[in-house]
Amino acid sequence: MLARIAISCLLLSLALPVSARTRPHYGGTLRVEIDGEPWPQVGAKSGGLARRLVFDGLTRMDADGALQPALALRWASENNDHRWQFWLRPGVHFHDGSVLTASIVEAALTGSCGAACPWTDVHAVGTTLVFTSDSPMPNLPALLAGDDFLIGIAAPVSSDPNSITGPSIGTGPFQAAGLSNGILTLVANGACWQGRPFFDKIEIHGYVPVRDQWLDLSVGRADLVEVPPEQLRQAQQQRLAVISSRPAQLLALAVADSGALGNPNLRAAIALAVDRGALSNVIFQKQGEITASLLPSELTGYAFLFSTDRDLNKAHELRGGLAPPPLTLTAEGGAAMQLAAQRIVLNLREAGFNVQVAGNSAPQHADLALVRLSLRSNQPQAALESLLRGVGVANPVLESTPAGLYKLEREFLDTHTLIPLLYLPRAWAVSSRVRDLRLSSDGVPLLDGASLEAAP
Amino acid sequence: MKLVWLMATIAMGLIGPPAFAAPSPWDQPAADLAEQIAGILGPGQARLVIRNLSTLPTDEISTIRGLLEQNLKAHGVLASGAESANTIRVTLSENLRERLWVAEIVEGAETRVVMVHVEPGTVQPAQPASGLTLRKQAVLTTGDRILAALETPDGLVAVEPEEIVIYGPTPGGLRERKRFGIGQKRALARDPRGIIVSSPDGSAFEANVPGMACSGVYTRVQPTGEWTVRCSESDDPWPILQGPILEGPTLQSGAASSSISIKAFYNAARDYFTGVVTPSVDVDLPPFYSAALLPRSDGAGLLIDGIDGKVQIAESGALKPVAGTRDWGSDFAAIDTSCAGSEIVASGSGEAISDSLRAYELPRQEAVPASAPLAMGGTVMALWPAPDGKSIFAVVENALNQFEVDRVSAHCN
Repeated sequence: MLARIAISCLLLSLALPVSARTRPHYGGTLRVEIDGEPWPQVGAKSGGLARRLVFDGLTRMDADGALQPALALRWASENNDHRWQFWLRPGVHFHDGSVLTASIVEAALTGSCGAACPWTDVHAVGTTLVFTSDSPMPNLPALLAGDDFLIGIAAPVSSDPNSITGPSIGTGPFQAAGLSNGILTLVANGACWQGRPFFDKIEIHGYVPVRDQWLDLSVGRADLVEVPPEQLRQAQQQRLAVISSRPAQLLALAVADSGALGNPNLRAAIALAVDRGALSNVIFQKQGEITASLLPSELTGYAFLFSTDRDLNKAHELRGGLAPPPLTLTAEGGAAMQLAAQRIVLNLREAGFNVQVAGNSAPQHADLALVRLSLRSNQPQAALESLLRGVGVANPVLESTPAGLYKLEREFLDTHTLIPLLYLPRAWAVSSRVRDLRLSSDGVPLLDGASLEAAP
Repeated sequence: MKLVWLMATIAMGLIGPPAFAAPSPWDQPAADLAEQIAGILGPGQARLVIRNLSTLPTDEISTIRGLLEQNLKAHGVLASGAESANTIRVTLSENLRERLWVAEIVEGAETRVVMVHVEPGTVQPAQPASGLTLRKQAVLTTGDRILAALETPDGLVAVEPEEIVIYGPTPGGLRERKRFGIGQKRALARDPRGIIVSSPDGSAFEANVPGMACSGVYTRVQPTGEWTVRCSESDDPWPILQGPILEGPTLQSGAASSSISIKAFYNAARDYFTGVVTPSVDVDLPPFYSAALLPRSDGAGLLIDGIDGKVQIAESGALKPVAGTRDWGSDFAAIDTSCAGSEIVASGSGEAISDSLRAYELPRQEAVPASAPLAMGGTVMALWPAPDGKSIFAVVENALNQFEVDRVSAHCN
């Protein structure tokens, strides 16, 4: 395990130029290109990059996945974690100059999750926020570091076609200056409570195919571009400077537990029919780590207890001659995800299931959905609750011991409503003029700490 | 009788560990895991299989197997029968924080799991190579960001981005006594810097942070003394170097002195020194991050680290590049050693995010390593010489986001 982590670090150190720590330069414009939306809607699963630059949460995860204070300076729990109080950082201003108050935070948090919040009630008390719940909330500080709980306010309604709808004013190191022709412009927030960032401006160009991104990087038209896991080897062969995260995205198959797959034996048969090895070797070019557990072994040490073996005979046996009606499978994301979905369809047909890929539409009505879940916390208890909330399981994780977490994972996975497949890294290629770039624990570039080399 | 006693002794030796055996770090986890296994399996025979998925050396496995067998036996489980229907599959695993020993107890078609976690062992740091040896001593550790600090006869004065903090000695180490607001009105920079220098007698200090200057005066009042600190807006140059460094002619001809003070103008918006210093050094300096004074054969040289990453030395009215500095970070300071005279201690990156410090000689325009790197256990955020020049101070941000003020001294081997 540790050896694998060491190899990951080595890969990173080989990919980026090694240099001693020199002080960063201020100024310049960083140009980022991505395949997706530059400013996705709240709740979108791929929206971390821009939103994390514009907004802050009460807490945050650092690059190692450790919990750190952000808009809250400190917090404390009472009544066996049923009540939490967060003390707001004083003197923080939004990009429009307005003062961050507990009332604004209360309104933003209440609007962020509605009835699905981890708490029963949140209210402002002076300069603090008080969360209460009928159930203990041992992981609340870690959950509040999630993208769903970033604090923002809406800009005044504008007739400018380049203005951004929805909350766009935050307290983060960059402020959203406009969205035009798929290009999101962010400018440095000189009054940021964390200190002014080094870049003057960041342009995030959306909807750029990966092939074009690499071309732009090679001719100096882009500084930071995406490297999908399945193209990591190709990027290294092309001698791109690649920065890669630890395997931090869980690729999993969500299985409906009603309708055609209401029978648990059918779901168990699906779990046994999926060929993880083929997905890893063929689709993701051996860049993924095969898993049948929710949490990776580096967090728990017990992942090996969940078998990743394919067993078609047992799958047939569990299906017991039942012929469920045709099933639909959706897959979010790009070409590799679609290919992975096609591969799973083939696997399931071998086990006697008739499955069709239904494209990207209406995943909530599909029988099966290929999803990616981000892992941010390095604390297994909080990470497990966050993952489970990502698939709609809102029960708090109260266990903290390895044995307790294993039992909880085992019980959940035995329902076969989520079948873990692979842990995938997130990778980016970087121009030589970008320095001090690190990735968050879930592989999102931490651009507020990076800078550009001075022009020679 | 003797025979009975001898057999009893041998039997005791076979059943239990030797009475005077040194305790092993695996004793307790092996006992705990065996107890849990026996709780499920009950007395009887079982096949014991052990595999190692951790970084434990292979030669430890037999020790652990022996301990498990002993402890299982004490609970009535004989881990020997290869033909037994029951299997105990023990996996020695680990995660990022700890080791985890997992036992899968297979009884027919049923498998049950128990596990114990084992605290990670400590790793002995490697001994430095021969030559000059750098040693560090932690002076203060705090969760607050420290930009610079000054040791005083009565404790320590720390410069934070928005406050001056007075620490006093206690039997348990330095403890915060008082905070003075700097009154900073500017937005903080992402990479803020500060400086603090002492008056010759140690009874006063001058401190600078971007756009502000503070002065402190110490009044001896029983039993602890008291600091008075005043701050005001200021764009005056910062006192970057001072002390009895020079021997022979100074940088500026005609201003011979046994001590020198150099001040430099600071660009608060971009966090570097502009290159304008006072008194003049007879040569135009580029913008720089760090500077140090070194005695040279024909006077003194001012070593600077430009914002373009080039290390140069201003001496004899010329600015000359210094080779051998490719691995240097942006921070360095001069240190006086009893055996090698004045040396430069420069930061460099170590493994991952752990920086190191290393001493260098600069006989001409080339930096030659004079010590092994000293791992600092985090990122070196600032470096400056002690008032007497015989040690340097470093601020290190460790992996826990704590800030540590370290005194680094050079020892001749």
